[in-house]
Amino acid sequence: MDQEVKLAELKAKLKKVIKRSVYIYRVDCGGCNGCEIEIFAAISPVYDPERLGMKVVASPRHADVLLYTGPMTRAMRLPAIRAYQAAPDPKIVVAYGACGCSGGIFHDCYSVWGGADSIFPVDVYIPGCPPTPAATLYGLAMALDLLQQKIKGEQFAETEVTRVVPQYDGVCPELAKEIEQEARRLSGYLHGRRIAAQYLQFVREGDPLAVDRKIKELIKQEKDPRLAEVFLSLHKIYMEKMERVGHNAG
Amino acid sequence: MPNEMKPGQDGKKSVEALRSKFGAAILAEAWQTPDQVTLTVELSSLPEIVEEAYYRQGGWLSSVVGNDERGLNGHFAVYYVLSIEKERVPDKNFWLTVKALVPSHKPEFPSVTPRVPAAVWYEREVRDMFGLEPVGLPDARRLVLPDDWPDNLYPLRKDAMDYRFRPDPVAEEENYKFIEVEGEGIVEVPLGPLHITSDEPGHFRLYVDGEYIVDADYRLFYVHRGIEKLAENRLDYDQVTFLAERICGICGYTHSVAYASAVETANGIEVPPRAQYIRTILLEVERMHSHLLNLGLAAHLVGFDAGFMHFFRVREKAMQMAEILTGGRKTYGMNLIGGVRRDILKEERDQVLRLIAEIRVELDELLDLLLNTTNFISRTQGVGRLDPGVARDFSPVGPNMRGSGYARDTRADHPYGAYDRVPWDVISRDGCDVLSRELVRAAELYESLKIIERCLAEMPPGPVLVEGFAYKPYSFALGYTEAPRGENVHWVMTGNNQQVYRWRARASTYNNWPSLRYMFRGNTVSDAPLIVASIDPCYSCTERVTVVDVRKKKARTIEYKELERYCQERKNSPLKS
Repeated sequence: MDQEVKLAELKAKLKKVIKRSVYIYRVDCGGCNGCEIEIFAAISPVYDPERLGMKVVASPRHADVLLYTGPMTRAMRLPAIRAYQAAPDPKIVVAYGACGCSGGIFHDCYSVWGGADSIFPVDVYIPGCPPTPAATLYGLAMALDLLQQKIKGEQFAETEVTRVVPQYDGVCPELAKEIEQEARRLSGYLHGRRIAAQYLQFVREGDPLAVDRKIKELIKQEKDPRLAEVFLSLHKIYMEKMERVGHNAG
Repeated sequence: MPNEMKPGQDGKKSVEALRSKFGAAILAEAWQTPDQVTLTVELSSLPEIVEEAYYRQGGWLSSVVGNDERGLNGHFAVYYVLSIEKERVPDKNFWLTVKALVPSHKPEFPSVTPRVPAAVWYEREVRDMFGLEPVGLPDARRLVLPDDWPDNLYPLRKDAMDYRFRPDPVAEEENYKFIEVEGEGIVEVPLGPLHITSDEPGHFRLYVDGEYIVDADYRLFYVHRGIEKLAENRLDYDQVTFLAERICGICGYTHSVAYASAVETANGIEVPPRAQYIRTILLEVERMHSHLLNLGLAAHLVGFDAGFMHFFRVREKAMQMAEILTGGRKTYGMNLIGGVRRDILKEERDQVLRLIAEIRVELDELLDLLLNTTNFISRTQGVGRLDPGVARDFSPVGPNMRGSGYARDTRADHPYGAYDRVPWDVISRDGCDVLSRELVRAAELYESLKIIERCLAEMPPGPVLVEGFAYKPYSFALGYTEAPRGENVHWVMTGNNQQVYRWRARASTYNNWPSLRYMFRGNTVSDAPLIVASIDPCYSCTERVTVVDVRKKKARTIEYKELERYCQERKNSPLKS
């Protein structure tokens, strides 16, 4: 415990005393290279971290910050420890990427120990698969106390009984489901959801003839031929359904 | 059991030729698709049949799969996957898989390596993972498993262990035996495991006479994570597409596509054409960022650092492209079995087309700059020769192969996705050296731009995803893609519990490593990093180089950075002190 307090003090001192650039050394402990390549991108002139005083060095002996990526494979345990021991104290250890933070998707594999913190104490975690260059810079700035960590505490408590409302109010749930399914099949999850919601806005009107007219108008004005195609197939489902309903009623 | 298909004409002919020569040794023939056939053969004649197919039918070794089929038929099995490209006409090429059953009470099979050298790594891996002994294999060392892994524990046997089981380390030090090179005045140079051109771990040992490399050896697989076992135990079919993307952070999407198409082929799932086009576009976006990265690295290693920075600047545009199309810069997460998860709308298309126009202009300037830097040409020309003869024996793939005069490209040889629907050219050069390989990459960038443009313009209408199919248990097939580094081949056998029974992912660099040893020979130590970079290795890189001086009989470890500096400046040899 004593040692930990001492180490924390030393680290605080490092950040204060350090007047020169901070030297960062990367250790790949079995990552897929995705993280390495994003670190590479982050140190390129487009993002230019050297303006913030961060420099990547080639030897752990020069390093103030050790950046561990990858899920810590069995074969990399010894080299990782050697790099840790080679870096002079005090040092800041950063776990980088989903795998570096926890082992990621590989967290329980047989040939993996699971995250940098399974072997040594970690000061800062930079999550992401892989973290974007912006996240990388943010995380490193945080490690150096250039930025404060954004931590927000939020608690959710139910204050009153709320009734779940259907997602598309005023639309037959069967129809909504079919429309959503078709939109997903045609345009995938992201766009499909948006397109289905947009379409169902019109259906809410209720009167099939009015809906038909408005949708035709929409399709005519649509500049994106693909969107028009998707709207048209959704509309076909709607019209068929309405026809059936009308037929049954008649 | 496997879905029966009608064979393709030319495949049939080849199989007939094998039958007439080996007759009774061929026990069964099953066609998974019109261009994928699996022949079950007598175990004892396995080496002869593979040799015949490899050298006399125009075959290239694409993968070897070990499988524990004791629960199905009481045996282990080994599958040798060959790509038969006899006449070099795409619609006459096919995949030949030679299968042999290995009795479970006597886990041995005759080694193919003495006849077909390309099999050496595969057979070492089958021994590590399944405990099947390749009788006659000269190399008795481990390949995949770490040095501290206990003996007689074979991770991929179904009954060996839980996928989460982590045995205690049996060794506190690395004890891998590097080859010993005898001879007057040879020096050893260790290189790695934290290292040369990339940032992934891998340990190289160079044997040098003065400044010249006589031989080389390497210890890789520092990043073995146990992906195949994980997929067989924890994930379902759709989830593995995301895991496959994490095999490699640079060319992950090609793995994802190869895996998905293997499952789709095995189960007879028809992927809608629009999804095929979207996959093709993303594969080319990935190739662009990867080739730009490699060209930048080559510039860096010859000491042209301004070029390196410029390549990275242009590369950011390729990353932007990925972000526009998928939402992610590196891991796309776009595949599902049966299609893709996201469509490309007009707005995205327009943005990408604008970026393509920008990249094309900047690439022209940049390549002009690079190729007119005399230093770049003099450092790469005639360096790291991959002799076509060596290439024939070891089946290397990708720009590595195409730099040595072979126009092998999976996109053309075994078309998939939309590659047979848009016009593009296979690029090859015959200089066999580092320069040729880089030139191939540079030219391929333009092909990629062309393919993306055409695909965006001609995307067919219709759905991007099929849903509501059923998986057929124990059917298997191959999925293949041309990654930036070469052909990726995945072999998948479905299980009966909504999980894969066996998934073998063979990454392109796996085929490129064994021949690297020959590419080092005769070059100077200062060129070593450049040669490694020219195969564009993807072994998630390394820190030191061991140099062994054959004359002084001394081994010294040189830090990779020191070697890289020497590679750039070519002054003050680290070997001299």
